[in-house]
Amino acid sequence: MMAVLIAAHLAAAALAPLLAGRLRSRVFLVLAVVPATAFAWLAARGGTVAGPDARSITQSTAWVDSLGMQLSFRLGTLSWVMALLVTGIGALVLVYSAYYFRPDETGLGRFSGLLTGFAGTMLGLVLADDLLLLYVFWELTTVFSYLLIGHNPDRRANRRAAMQALIVTTFGGLAMLVGVVIVGQAAGTYSISGVLADPPAGTAVSVAVVLLLVGAVSKSALVPFHFWLPAAMAAPTPVSAYLHAAAMVKAGVYVVALFAPALAGVLPWRPLLLTVGVATMLLGAWRALRQHDLKLLLAFGTVSQLGFLVVVLGVGTRSAALAGVAMLVAHALFKAALFLVVGIVDHGAGTRDLRLLSGLRRRMPVAFWAAVLAAASMAGVPPLAGFVAKESIVKAFVDVARTGDGTGIPPVAGWTVLVGLVAGSALTVAYSARFVWGAFATKPGVSEPAGIHSPPVGFAAAPALLALGGLALGFLGSAETPALAPYAEHYPEGVHHASLGLWHGLNLALVLSAVSLAAGAVMYWQRHAVARAQRGLRVGYEAEHGFRRTLRVVDRVAVEVTGATQRGSLPVYLVVIFVVVITVPGTALLMAGVGSVDLYGWDNPAQLAVGGVLVAAAILTARSGRRLKAVLLAGVTGYGMALLFMMHGAPDLALTQVLVETVTLAVFVLVLRSLPPRFSERPLTSTRWGRLGIGALVGALMAGFALVASAARTADPVSETFAERAEAEGRGHNVVNVILVDIRAWDTMGEISVLVVAATGVASLVFLITGRTGRWRPDEAIGSALDSHASSHPDGGRPSWLRAGGTLPPDRRSIVFEVVTRLAFHIIVVFSVYLLFSGHNMPGGGFAAGLVAGLALMMRYLAGGRHELNDAAPVDAGLVLGVGLFVATGTGLVPLAVGGAVLQSAVVDLSVPLLGHVHFTTSLFFDVGVYLVVVGLMLDVLRSLGSGVDRHGDESAENGRDEADEQHAQQERLGETR
Amino acid sequence: MTAPTLEYAELAPLITVFGAAVIGVLIEAFVPRRARHTVQVVLALLALVASLVQVIALAGTEVVAAVGAVVIDGPALFLQGTILVLSIISIAFFAERKLEAGGDAFAPAASSLPGSDEERVLVRERRLQTEIYPLMLFAVAGMMLFPAANDLLIMFIALEVLSLPLYLMCGMARRRRLLSHEAALKYFLLGAFSSAVFLFGSAFVYGFAGSLRFSEISTALTTEIGKEGLLLSGVGLMAVGLLFKVGAVPFHAWTPDVYQGAPTPVTAFMAACTKLAAFGAMVRLFYVAFGGVRSDWQPMLWAVAIATMVVGAVVALTQTDIKRMLAYSSIAHAGFVLTALVAADQTATAAILFYLATYGIATLGAFAVVTLVRDSGGEATHLSKWAGLGKRSPIVAGTFALFLLAFAGIPMTSGFVGKLSVFAAAIDGGATPLVIVGVLASAVAAFFYVRVIVLMFFSAPAEEGPTVAVPSVWTTVGISLGAAATLLLGLVPGPLLDLAQQAAVFVR
Repeated sequence: MMAVLIAAHLAAAALAPLLAGRLRSRVFLVLAVVPATAFAWLAARGGTVAGPDARSITQSTAWVDSLGMQLSFRLGTLSWVMALLVTGIGALVLVYSAYYFRPDETGLGRFSGLLTGFAGTMLGLVLADDLLLLYVFWELTTVFSYLLIGHNPDRRANRRAAMQALIVTTFGGLAMLVGVVIVGQAAGTYSISGVLADPPAGTAVSVAVVLLLVGAVSKSALVPFHFWLPAAMAAPTPVSAYLHAAAMVKAGVYVVALFAPALAGVLPWRPLLLTVGVATMLLGAWRALRQHDLKLLLAFGTVSQLGFLVVVLGVGTRSAALAGVAMLVAHALFKAALFLVVGIVDHGAGTRDLRLLSGLRRRMPVAFWAAVLAAASMAGVPPLAGFVAKESIVKAFVDVARTGDGTGIPPVAGWTVLVGLVAGSALTVAYSARFVWGAFATKPGVSEPAGIHSPPVGFAAAPALLALGGLALGFLGSAETPALAPYAEHYPEGVHHASLGLWHGLNLALVLSAVSLAAGAVMYWQRHAVARAQRGLRVGYEAEHGFRRTLRVVDRVAVEVTGATQRGSLPVYLVVIFVVVITVPGTALLMAGVGSVDLYGWDNPAQLAVGGVLVAAAILTARSGRRLKAVLLAGVTGYGMALLFMMHGAPDLALTQVLVETVTLAVFVLVLRSLPPRFSERPLTSTRWGRLGIGALVGALMAGFALVASAARTADPVSETFAERAEAEGRGHNVVNVILVDIRAWDTMGEISVLVVAATGVASLVFLITGRTGRWRPDEAIGSALDSHASSHPDGGRPSWLRAGGTLPPDRRSIVFEVVTRLAFHIIVVFSVYLLFSGHNMPGGGFAAGLVAGLALMMRYLAGGRHELNDAAPVDAGLVLGVGLFVATGTGLVPLAVGGAVLQSAVVDLSVPLLGHVHFTTSLFFDVGVYLVVVGLMLDVLRSLGSGVDRHGDESAENGRDEADEQHAQQERLGETR
Repeated sequence: MTAPTLEYAELAPLITVFGAAVIGVLIEAFVPRRARHTVQVVLALLALVASLVQVIALAGTEVVAAVGAVVIDGPALFLQGTILVLSIISIAFFAERKLEAGGDAFAPAASSLPGSDEERVLVRERRLQTEIYPLMLFAVAGMMLFPAANDLLIMFIALEVLSLPLYLMCGMARRRRLLSHEAALKYFLLGAFSSAVFLFGSAFVYGFAGSLRFSEISTALTTEIGKEGLLLSGVGLMAVGLLFKVGAVPFHAWTPDVYQGAPTPVTAFMAACTKLAAFGAMVRLFYVAFGGVRSDWQPMLWAVAIATMVVGAVVALTQTDIKRMLAYSSIAHAGFVLTALVAADQTATAAILFYLATYGIATLGAFAVVTLVRDSGGEATHLSKWAGLGKRSPIVAGTFALFLLAFAGIPMTSGFVGKLSVFAAAIDGGATPLVIVGVLASAVAAFFYVRVIVLMFFSAPAEEGPTVAVPSVWTTVGISLGAAATLLLGLVPGPLLDLAQQAAVFVR
């Protein structure tokens, strides 16, 4: 049934916008039926859940089993009281709203829905018996209250107040979530009744208590979070009456009351709550005395009363608990009534400023008497409910101060709290009087506001009912005591037997009540003097400023952190990653790895010299500002490596390294032609030195890693047997070559495939940019690279022997170079073929041979331009690549056909006429494939980066400089200019 | 040497997607251009759905497959299924053609120079770029393999297979192409460095354990004494690579730039799916392989988690671009997941799985909404332009608000349950301080999410503000699914949580 009631509220809320379209403001009357029904149901359960034989009504449905979340509800005495307040006042406020809003007011559907939905979630909050469910409803009340405060969002103040309320309470809510989870984990159950029955203990629970209380304190607007509540008064008055008197702010008080029986003994529950509560009570009341806006006066009054309630319900004695619940009820009745009265006054007189109001007592007698009753209850004047509760509270705290009453509170603290409470009560008396005077008195020199009209009966009914309720409750103390006792009985019996009533005999409590009443009356009488004193005492600092400053600081920090970390600069991002790599794994390496490395200087002093050159060249490369210089210096390191290989006795490796280095250098130069000569136009800055340092550190670290890794070897290297196997299985003397074409032929296969893909990719990118007229025409683009006839002899005569004339200006030609190239070309090609065939036993092999042939082609290109190149190799590079890959793959597959394994090699001995005896291994064909692929790659590179870029340059020279500029601008952006 | 036997049935989901990706490449070469777009979309959808069906059919399987290199177990299948669902929705966003007047979100030809004649011709001809679909399939296949990898090498291969297509896809935006190129380049360069560091780390771990298998590495932790330097350096280096992929501080710097520059559907896809795959792989690596030395890596992850949550949440405050804001929010969320990761037990695994699934769905939806809010220059991503959106199109703004509330972890959305489960797991695992930092970060994060909601609903609409484009049924369905899932998983999270709980057992 409890779940049904809550669901009914939410369903009504969802329907509200539909109903509001037709019913206008009468929609509130329809909606009021829902909480009224709930109130009736709850009232009927009074006999079961309250009184001497109280037992709880529970209801539970599994919701999220794996997190232990259950839709479990429990109606105990405390939640019964709270639920009655929530539904009863909710119904009255809804009825009141029907009169408060004009029928043509905009947003009624939204507003009425939100208000009803809020009532539903609040009901859920007080009925929930699951910690997580409690939190869910807790956050939902936050969201609903945010939306309600933000009603009429056109006013900036409303938006700001709503946001402030949301931030403060969400922050508190999240803190509470952690507290809830810790408590749940420590107790092993998320059931609230379970936690109360078997309270957890320990340090973690102390942390949880603080977090829970942060949630409660922020929700109930206690110091230091009190500022959001007065600001939230921007909301429509019914919202203020409901949320900020009966419902939402009571959620914090409710949580304190709920957990106090279990957790009051856990530090720092009592010190925290008593300090915060007393401080809030005094501060709120003090500031209430200063307000001119009636609503603000009440808001600060609410803050003060909430502090009061938290002290009483948090202290954890039986008499205080009983008195606290009575106070909770009394406060809800009188505070809601007062807010509703303010709404009527505001409506009738058009202002809430007590300096402008005058003579309303005669114009609005019903509202006046309701206000008098409610204010008297607030001030604790007998025989009202407020007096009964306050009297019992003072009595309970006299016990605490005298004996501790089982709480262990030292007498000094106890008396201080008592004095604080009495002082707070005195201030309460003063501002209660000020409220009645301010709203209704006829003030000399203040003219009556124009157009005052007395409220219709229904409008005034709600506050009148509430105020009368406060009066009736004053006489019902003897009935109230047993009804509320089951809650108080969570605590052991105290010094005196707790009961509620108008007369407890002449004792210290009565004296203190009288003192506070008298002091309050004096303060009201001397209100001008008090006002002067307040002005003198005004403190510069307000918590709201602190809140704003915190927000500003967070904003500022955010900006600074963004500025520092998010520069958009790639080098900065990389530096961050590298620094982490240096510090974390680097430290691990230093701590554990260094000792395991065994180092020696050199085999041969010459290595030292070469190494020195290498290091110097590397440093100079990094420092170089010109691209060409950097490439050349990087080349030096490569040749140096070749020398080191040589000294280690690896001529084949050295040969390959030299060739690769040469080709790389040449390709670099081809590319560099179209790039600016310097990396950056800026001079070397200091940040660059920092980066240089980090680069050096990363390099050193990687070297260190490599050393440690190779020192960690425990197994024998796989290469140890290669020399033997090259001879025995591969039938070759050049181990490197046999590794490439036989032992690890699969690797080579993969590598040449990648080469083919890379070459094709480079070529298609370059030609794509060249074919910029609209769409890609690859056949045309590559075809035009082979168009030697069309442009090379424009006179239409025989092709000339030297072809450079078509592309190079006369002053850049060198006939000697062209002729020598022509003569040397064929010799080099033959040499490359020799290297290819001899590679199996001597330095050489397909890779090196292909590079040599490629260098020959490159000489032709450099000497005579693209037509010369086309003459030297009148084939499509793709064809060469394809044939190469085909031959290599074929060599691999053929053995399959004759029953061998893939890439198996065999020795062939033939006797060929004219040549004589021929001896080779079939892996030679594989090497031929490699050779062709490398030659094709070189051709592709020359065609695209050489000829292609040439043609591109020609075209863009025609098209003007704009595109080049654009590219340049793009490079600027991508570089480190940011 | 005999050929290894493969468990084709268990590997079928992976093979399906990989195969479809290869077929997609062939389609590029052989299918006429006019039909290509349709064929690619249909193929991608079919492949993903088929793979999803296979994953569902495999539910409950626990097999070490492919000679020990791949594991098909609960976490792997859960993540593969989630990635597939998210990818299917992503395809819908990729194929959206109504927002850009006949085009999609991608440049007609990625290779055409921005602002060139060629580009103009292609745009005029309404040329559609179709390479994105095979690329996406490759990325999805990599993502599916990543959390299933049981071997350092396979893990690296999966990392590269998922990353390389993403680098490309980031550079393919139709509008603001230079920004997109910059994003792709940054992502690529930084990603390449991190991958290299990751590979370096794997080499070290291999050097320590003498094996690439996670199970054998785990055994080696107890048997190999005296080589901890190698191991810890390796763990640190591998962590760098993985933390880069999930976007954790201090390896997060690429996230905002890339999220902003990439075409929004791609951002949505990678924000949702990459995080899933990378966290899945990370959990497996750290729990299965390195679980025995958790006391050594936990402090590092503590520091990273704190920094990630704080920086992500705080820096998001100052963002004025909605995509950048979501990027920082994704960083903060990576931090929240890390809080559970340090707990290192089964509850934590389940929490992470659930969190990733819900976060992925909400992220996908949020970015998809971003694609709808447009002005003359394309998507209007500047926050000021979103002012008053709730007045003009309450449904779109409401949906976006729902996603933001889910990010903020407000009850009744999936985000709340997710956050609750990771925090509970972390507290269980003794990481209470982390959770407290997490809550503070959540409060800050809630602030900026709510600020956007306030802006949309409570501010006056900007003059000449953006319009909300009416998408085709593709995007509408995608966003609706995301919103419905976000709400449903907030109200009835039980089934998915149970599923995650059952799936949270690693096979070693």
